[in-house]
Amino acid sequence: MQISPALWIPAAALGAAAGLLVWQGRIPFRYNVRNLVVRWKTTLLTILAFVAVNSLLVVMLAFVNGMYQLTDNSGNPANVVVLSEGATDESFSNLQFTDAGELENHPQVARRHGRPMCSRESYLVVNQPIPDARPGRPERRFLQLRGLDDPGLSAAIHDLQLSDGGSWFSPAGVRQLPGPGAGSPDSPPAIEVVLGEGIARELGRDRSDQALQAARNRERLEVGDVFVLGDRPWLVVGVLQSSGSTFDSEVWAKRAIIGPMFGKETYTSLVLRAQDAAAARELKEYLNLEYKQAAVQALLEEEYFASLSQTNKQFLFGVIFVVFWLAVGGACGLMNTMFAAVSQRKRDLGVLRLLGFARWQILASLLIESLLLGLVGGLLGCALGSLCHGVKASSIVSSGHGVAGKFVVLVMTVDVDTLLLGLLLSAAMGLLGGLLPALVAVCRRPLEALR
Amino acid sequence: MMLKNIRRNLIGSLVIVLGTMVLVPVVIFVWSILAFLDAATDEKSKNFKGIVTERWRLPSQMPFAYAASLSDGAASKPGDVKPEDSMTWQFYGGTLDPEKRTRENSLFAIATEPRKLCTMMDELDTLPPEEAAKLDEAIQEMERNRQAIIMGQDRLAAVNKRVGERIKLYGINYRDLDLELEIVGTFPEGRYDNTAAINRDYLLAALDAYERQTGKPHPLADKTLNLVWLRVPDSEAFAQVAGQILASPNYTSPAVKFETAASGIASFLDAYRDLIWGMRWLLAPALLFTLALVISNAISISVRERQTELAVLKVLGFRPWQIMVLVLGEASLVGLLAGLCSAGATFATVNLVFGGFKFPIAFFGAFFIPAEALAWGVGVGLLTALLGSVMPAWTASRIRVSEVFAKVA
Repeated sequence: MQISPALWIPAAALGAAAGLLVWQGRIPFRYNVRNLVVRWKTTLLTILAFVAVNSLLVVMLAFVNGMYQLTDNSGNPANVVVLSEGATDESFSNLQFTDAGELENHPQVARRHGRPMCSRESYLVVNQPIPDARPGRPERRFLQLRGLDDPGLSAAIHDLQLSDGGSWFSPAGVRQLPGPGAGSPDSPPAIEVVLGEGIARELGRDRSDQALQAARNRERLEVGDVFVLGDRPWLVVGVLQSSGSTFDSEVWAKRAIIGPMFGKETYTSLVLRAQDAAAARELKEYLNLEYKQAAVQALLEEEYFASLSQTNKQFLFGVIFVVFWLAVGGACGLMNTMFAAVSQRKRDLGVLRLLGFARWQILASLLIESLLLGLVGGLLGCALGSLCHGVKASSIVSSGHGVAGKFVVLVMTVDVDTLLLGLLLSAAMGLLGGLLPALVAVCRRPLEALR
Repeated sequence: MMLKNIRRNLIGSLVIVLGTMVLVPVVIFVWSILAFLDAATDEKSKNFKGIVTERWRLPSQMPFAYAASLSDGAASKPGDVKPEDSMTWQFYGGTLDPEKRTRENSLFAIATEPRKLCTMMDELDTLPPEEAAKLDEAIQEMERNRQAIIMGQDRLAAVNKRVGERIKLYGINYRDLDLELEIVGTFPEGRYDNTAAINRDYLLAALDAYERQTGKPHPLADKTLNLVWLRVPDSEAFAQVAGQILASPNYTSPAVKFETAASGIASFLDAYRDLIWGMRWLLAPALLFTLALVISNAISISVRERQTELAVLKVLGFRPWQIMVLVLGEASLVGLLAGLCSAGATFATVNLVFGGFKFPIAFFGAFFIPAEALAWGVGVGLLTALLGSVMPAWTASRIRVSEVFAKVA
């Protein structure tokens, strides 16, 4: 429950404005509430417009939040990612096998059971044809493969664990499937894989009706399920608890099997676990400035994933653009409502003036009324938009260089900032929409109003 | 009468106009993106392009030795079909400052045959004469000078250079392969704002020079061909060329695939499918709903304020349906005109003033407002006005004269 410092100032300003209106306003609050209730149809329509604007804002921001969570949460501060010099992304990186041994034996690299904590990885994106794709589904997808030498060690470095019932792929990386022809050259052994939760769900969606009926889990692929890629069967031996990280959309397999199979004969990255965050920074500096044996560049893992947030920024800009114009439209509706309210209550307001209420007190009363409309609509919109919290959606995160990026499954996240922003926007729309009608109302002379 | 009523109820009319003017452009932006993506992924029946890429891996990296025969559609026997046109793409990424590489000082260029830029590149093959002539001039210069580069306007501005200046690009993906280039022109504003094109002969010569200098081929020397575009006249020819390519023994390591451009784009867009779904089924309807509510509110208020007047009309012999038509007509007229003006202004501002609006999805950097947007504007304005005014118009037609006059009395 943390609120971003950037929201404190507008929240405080609007809170102060609302507090001032209530504190200084002398006209009973009941009067405003009754007015809204009496003209319930108009009130309802105005509130509905606010609900639409706010729920849309919350849903769109939840999507962008989900993207930011992926890029912000996928890194460990003690991890250093090593790529070949000049590579903007893992896809374009090539590290020779001989470089790995020297890099992982640096004294700053932590050790587990006497072995350096170094994840040797080959990241590949491959085409997977989808035979008999369902209507509306693509006929092939891009599948992200991560070839690893030691999956248990790599998972420990990336702070990932297996779901119950799974195991890491074997040192051989393949297993013979039972059935007729097993062991014959026409029936090659299946490649063992560990799937991220997100891609397990995606692959599960493209099963035939027959396969779905026989499936143990209709929602996703499970341990023991088989899918086809590159004319080979791939056997699921484990599913990662990877929700909320970029690894959620990846397929992990034995590098020595999939590297040659898809023509990637080098590592794309090494992920080194340092003793702690400070050691990681030192290791990064050393590799970038002093290490000359191979042309490499090192980034803190957090920096690497942060660099993939370019798409997030583009989407956020799009959200701000749409919400701005929606807010202007919503404020127009409220302005009309308040103009009508002021017009209908011309005489009431004249009487109030004659009873001794000052102009600014009437102004405060009308602004409270429009603020109330905005806040009720805002609250309902936030509540409606919050229903998307936890929904999973696919997207892409990238550094913005070319079309390279990672296909990800994100979890839409409605946080306190999003809700507060929704309420602030509603309050601002309420105040701005009500200001002009209220000013028109208080400028009218009492006797003229009563005539 | 409708026009008089609109003028008399100035605030209500202005709110409808303002709401429509503000929300219609957003709807048009959303629909322009969706319409473009739908068109890009829609399989054509005639004159379409196909892409040859590596069968399994992404990014596709094929040996350049594939280029010549693939450009002929792997036609080797009498009776084999040859494509009408072709184009090879090699991606070269470079930076102007190797010490401090940033997004601003980096660019990705397509190394290709210069002449094919204006025959095979989408939208560049259908430019207005003036822009086509300007591009053709740059292409001719690139044919004369293989160190020439044509850049997108945003990229040119980002690297802070002008046409006529020389730049040195330090290889990003082609490590240690640096290119010295002369900027000879720009792409027309729009889709290629962040793209650049260089002569493929220069890249190939640089690869040869690398081998001469170091005594070994560049690591990417046998992976330099990224994709080949082929234009075929119809789906029958496409199927035949696809058969020729897939059956050819020349493309086994790596294996290749041939697919329509629409299919290739659809695969890239799959990553955005939830975003596109949200734009199509959440954002656009919510915008229309909000607009209809604003209009409905304005008309409801207008009807309530004119109860006496409507009762008088009834006394004068107006039938309920005539009053309904009157209210619906007022709203529709305002909505229609506001929608048309808004769409026209959006079309002119975005396309003519800003040169498209930037919303990068996959490899599409900027979108234009299509001419159909004028019809969308009219449709949205009219439809939302009608939807929003149905209930108020119904209420207006059901006004009871006796009740209204009793209140007045």
